[in-house]
Amino acid sequence: MEAVRAIGICKTFGKDDTEVRALVDVSLVLETGTVAALLGPSGSGKSTLIKALGLVSLPESGRVLFQDRPVVVDGVAVADVTELRRRYLGFVFQKANLVSFLTARENVQIACEIGETSAPRRRALELLDYLGVGHRADAYPETLSGGEQQRVAIARALANRPSLILADEPTAALDKARGRTVMELFARVAHEQGAAVLVVTHDHRALDLFDVTYEMEDGRIGPPQKVGHQSALLAEPTPATEHASTRSR
Amino acid sequence: MNLASRDLRRHLGRFLGTAAGLGLLFAVVIAMQGIYAGLIDDATILTRTLDADLWIVQRGTLGPFAEASRLDPTLEARAAAVPGVVRSRAYTYQIIQRGVGRSQFRLALVGLAWPEDRGDTIPLVAGRELAQPHGEIVVDASLGIPVGETITLAGEPYRVVGLTRNALTSGGEAVAFLSVRDSQLVVNELPDEAVQTERQRTLDRLRQTDLGRAQPALEDLPLDSRWRSPALPAPSVSAVLVNVAPFRLDDVRRVIAGWGDVTVFSTDEQRDLLLQGVVQKAKLQIGLFTVILTLTAAVIVMMVIYNMMLEKTHDIAVLKLMGAPASRLIALVFQQAWLLGALAYGFALGLGALIHPSFPRRVVLTAEIQWGAPIVVFVLASLASILGVVHATRVDAGRVLEG
Repeated sequence: MEAVRAIGICKTFGKDDTEVRALVDVSLVLETGTVAALLGPSGSGKSTLIKALGLVSLPESGRVLFQDRPVVVDGVAVADVTELRRRYLGFVFQKANLVSFLTARENVQIACEIGETSAPRRRALELLDYLGVGHRADAYPETLSGGEQQRVAIARALANRPSLILADEPTAALDKARGRTVMELFARVAHEQGAAVLVVTHDHRALDLFDVTYEMEDGRIGPPQKVGHQSALLAEPTPATEHASTRSR
Repeated sequence: MNLASRDLRRHLGRFLGTAAGLGLLFAVVIAMQGIYAGLIDDATILTRTLDADLWIVQRGTLGPFAEASRLDPTLEARAAAVPGVVRSRAYTYQIIQRGVGRSQFRLALVGLAWPEDRGDTIPLVAGRELAQPHGEIVVDASLGIPVGETITLAGEPYRVVGLTRNALTSGGEAVAFLSVRDSQLVVNELPDEAVQTERQRTLDRLRQTDLGRAQPALEDLPLDSRWRSPALPAPSVSAVLVNVAPFRLDDVRRVIAGWGDVTVFSTDEQRDLLLQGVVQKAKLQIGLFTVILTLTAAVIVMMVIYNMMLEKTHDIAVLKLMGAPASRLIALVFQQAWLLGALAYGFALGLGALIHPSFPRRVVLTAEIQWGAPIVVFVLASLASILGVVHATRVDAGRVLEG
């Protein structure tokens, strides 16, 4: 099942001489249960694409569909974006961005409550255990290590059982070993929890953990590249999908 | 999960510190309002306590509190004879300053017309009213003199038989109640040399008259301290207080107002004269300062609460990105602001209860202040919260993605 589909989305910043075309006719499809890497140099449009798919900064043109349901059409949200974020999306950032005055457990629990998950406290503890930080449930973010914070952030992103998790350079602040561990967690989450995970990363050493990679440059996205033995997990695109997901006009 | 309580739990020390700081500010504002109310109350307490319907004063004057008023004491009997008058009392009012040890104290002497007025309308907190026409005094507790203690005025001992609370003048001086005769004795106190000189002058005048020459035994009279020359007028009184039978006030007033030597005021008019004249400048000064202080406090309170919200901008952005409904963020802002306001107000009240009795002027927390202050605090906290909510709704969730 498609978690998200973007069709020909564009985004421009500035005007005239200062105009920057951050997204140029970008199309892609992410299937549930897939972990995808989004690669590219700085300024290539990766974060802008993450914001567009996360409905944080809407594209000016093109369409975005969640589970085949149009949510953005020609730059206009056709559904409640707050509700969509609550129901379909999970975010993980370069910094963990945990709410400073909540414990690890409460950071996950509040996401469960916002996502209207039943038994939020129990689910929060289950997710922390699942990600190996259950023993730090009562710790405040400032007392957690960087790796622990990212695990809590991933647990939080999973709280509402999202169909799409967007991660923007989640390992940038971690050392190699911890960074790989986090990437392994994303792969595990995608395959075990059935979510589509799109990870912006510069770390090419962990690409073997991804099912598919996308390369971006100058606001354009390249065709999906299947990686290693996981490539079979990437759904075969339909004719319509193929047109949308592999061309960068 | 209640976000406001979680935030407080995490930053309890800072929150309590902020509440204490705001509480200090509230305490100052409330104290100023209380001082203002105290000034008004002090200025008018005597007019209320003496429970008169009409005040008769010297013609062309505004009464004993505003300026000197001298009336012949026989006016008391004249007023009593007016149909409809049920009670007529002479009244004196004089402020004196005396030294006790190394300190000085100012005292407002109020003379009560013994035996008609023994101070039965004065609210006492200890002791009793006057029971004899000489040598007894009722004082305000703020002087710190207990019942049974004796104080000396004009060389005469006066036993404190009763205590009032908050019987003060518009200038904050404690009021002492004693008989009119005693108050006149104190006010007209003369040194021994002056008394002897006066007696000698009286004797000289007596010896120049036929009566004095014919009856030399009359020369013993000036030696008696209670004797007063018939040629000298009796000491004047400041006012005559009149109580009137029900529904006769207008009639009695019309009659007395027709006398050429007096002016008559109702108690409310005396009160207005006090507020518009005696304490007007002090009232305006403190009133304006109170208004400025209240506005300043309002701005500071709003900025403190608003800044608390600014500090949470990042957390709010995270919550918004997670899809937190606006109601949750609004609750966070309002609940914290209200709790902060309530704590600060409680702190201000507690602090006030501790320090207000130490103020040299009375601090009166009227019902308006006690009810109005928390409402104002609530409104301020709510206004600041609205600013905070506007800020929260404008927070760009995307800034979280920018690291």
